[in-house]
Amino acid sequence: MDVKDVFEIAKERRALAEHEVKSLLRNYGIPVPNFVVIDSPEDVESINLRFPVVVKASSHEILHKTDVGAVRLNVKDPEELKNVIKEFKEKFKNAKILVEEMEDKNLEVIVGVINDPTFGPAIMFGLGGIFVEVLRDVTFRVVPITRADAEEMLREIKGAKLLEGFRGIKVDREALIKILLRVSDLAQKLEPVIDQLDLNPIFLKESGAVVVDAKMLLRRSE
Amino acid sequence: MESLDAFFNPQSVAVIGVSRNPNKVGSIIFRYLTESGLKLYPINPNLDEFMGYKAYPSVKDVPDKIDLAVIAVPSKVVPEVLRDCVEKGIRGVIIISAGFGETGEEGRRLEEQLKEIIRGSKTRVIGPNCLGIYVPRKKIDALFTLRERSPRPPAGDFVYISQSGAAGVAFMDYAAHYGVGVSAFVSIGNKMDVSEAELLEYFAEHEETKAIALYLESIKDGRRFLEVAKKVSKKKPIVVLKGGRTSRGATAAALHTGSLAGSDAVIDGAFKQAGIIRAYDEEEIIDFARVLAYQKPMLGPRVVVVTSGGGYGVIATDYIESTYGDKGVGLKMADLTEETKEKLREVLVPYASVNNPVDLTADVTDEQYDKALELVNKDPNVDGILCLALFQTPFVTEKLVDIVEKWSKHGEKPMVVVSIGGTYTQKMIKEMERRRIAIYPSIWRGVKALRALYERGLYLKRMGVL
Repeated sequence: MDVKDVFEIAKERRALAEHEVKSLLRNYGIPVPNFVVIDSPEDVESINLRFPVVVKASSHEILHKTDVGAVRLNVKDPEELKNVIKEFKEKFKNAKILVEEMEDKNLEVIVGVINDPTFGPAIMFGLGGIFVEVLRDVTFRVVPITRADAEEMLREIKGAKLLEGFRGIKVDREALIKILLRVSDLAQKLEPVIDQLDLNPIFLKESGAVVVDAKMLLRRSE
Repeated sequence: MESLDAFFNPQSVAVIGVSRNPNKVGSIIFRYLTESGLKLYPINPNLDEFMGYKAYPSVKDVPDKIDLAVIAVPSKVVPEVLRDCVEKGIRGVIIISAGFGETGEEGRRLEEQLKEIIRGSKTRVIGPNCLGIYVPRKKIDALFTLRERSPRPPAGDFVYISQSGAAGVAFMDYAAHYGVGVSAFVSIGNKMDVSEAELLEYFAEHEETKAIALYLESIKDGRRFLEVAKKVSKKKPIVVLKGGRTSRGATAAALHTGSLAGSDAVIDGAFKQAGIIRAYDEEEIIDFARVLAYQKPMLGPRVVVVTSGGGYGVIATDYIESTYGDKGVGLKMADLTEETKEKLREVLVPYASVNNPVDLTADVTDEQYDKALELVNKDPNVDGILCLALFQTPFVTEKLVDIVEKWSKHGEKPMVVVSIGGTYTQKMIKEMERRRIAIYPSIWRGVKALRALYERGLYLKRMGVL
């Protein structure tokens, strides 16, 4: 999936499926888990992923997957995987099956994009989980952002200390800054068609970072 | 001639809509404009003469060149007289008249018609639905509010650009009362043509303007506004008070990011990127514009407090060191060098405190204030000074104003002054304002002004200007 493909899709629907967003991100140098999209349980034999894996029913029609039971975590072996795929194929007839390696984390963060009516695409950064749900501890910048903007964003949220090795939780700030800059760049290229993008959560590790869930809404371009 | 010079530096002005009734908007504006010494042309088809000036039925009948026209006629007549202005080749038109986009569908259509009339021409429009402009150094008073109840501020160092007429008048009255001067005042109304971004560009080059204050309810072409602001703020400080919050489309809450952007968090980020200092109320916008016009930026967060009242020093310390937003500004109290402390000990009474806050005590003299300000200015550990100039103690005189002026204008470090008190102090405050000292009547307001200088310094450093 490329920026051009997104422009095409925007002509007919208002959302991307998760596997489409992930493929776009991967092509854009934004780290996502190793994943495959498969059609039938037989394909399990040929996949080359590290177990445990996560299985998701991926469709532009299912925006909030966990609400409808379209995510299965911690699938331990090919046998179990086949069963889950069978189950999902029946339950979510129009969806693709997304299988990805399960990731672990030291810290969760969220990065997003909205298309502001006054300023156009703006990028958001915040800590994930309860920090974003309850405390709304996030910060915005209009894209494109500079490296200095990205660093300032990391510094100015209330929970900034958590990104600085608080209580021995080590995270890769550099990997996060790189994601912010890449997302800013992508948002700018998608300006005419992007409505909102959520990379939530992004898992931060001691070394590296990975976008675990991704959603994108589109708008009609003029 | 620069495109907007016709508004702020015209040689000749026509007022369309003067009337026999001296209390009509056009008549008021014309009357005040007679003080400017500019060539004036009253326009009214039913008059031959107005206040001793020859009147004309239309601007097209005026034999000379006209730079600026002020339109104050009913909205339905505006298209016709605007067309006359375009045909006459007038560069600047201020449309005072209301009854356009602000009123509904019919008004919107009328405003579209006005845009059509000036399209492709050299005529630029400020307004409609505005109060007018005021440029004190040129004695251009094209405002329709009566001076008896709406006094004008003196000439000063910052421009105040207001989208709201009422907020603009209130500002002018307040500024006049406290002797706060402006380089210009511009009421932009519905912004059908001249936008806030263009005014930023214009005032960036305006010699008498050292800071730009904007009261905005909406931002026209946000991207362009930010680009211009980014450029201008490297040169001159910009303060914005933004009223009204962004309303998002129907899909806004579908994703997390959308629901979190509902507040004005995006504006906050955008302003930071463009180096705009954000004011949150009508007092802050003036307080910040003044300090940014009068003082240099702060290059670091370390503040020294010089006071004659120990208690006020403690309160100032709390405000300075508390977290930003939490009844504090997130700056730091400076650690004075041993050398500074030693020298302070030599000049102050033995029971004075030479630590920060420097407490000169109630026995302080003018000379001790002078010496203390000299010493803290030289201290390499100090980035900014908060001087509590209190006039109640027995050995302080009016000379303290001169001392404060000297260090405020010639000291190495930026300085904010706070004076608290009644009639006598208020007199001193007014005098300090007249001399462009960054004076505030409360500690909190003074400390917030320091924060504005600090933010300005941060931005200029980040941009590599400082």
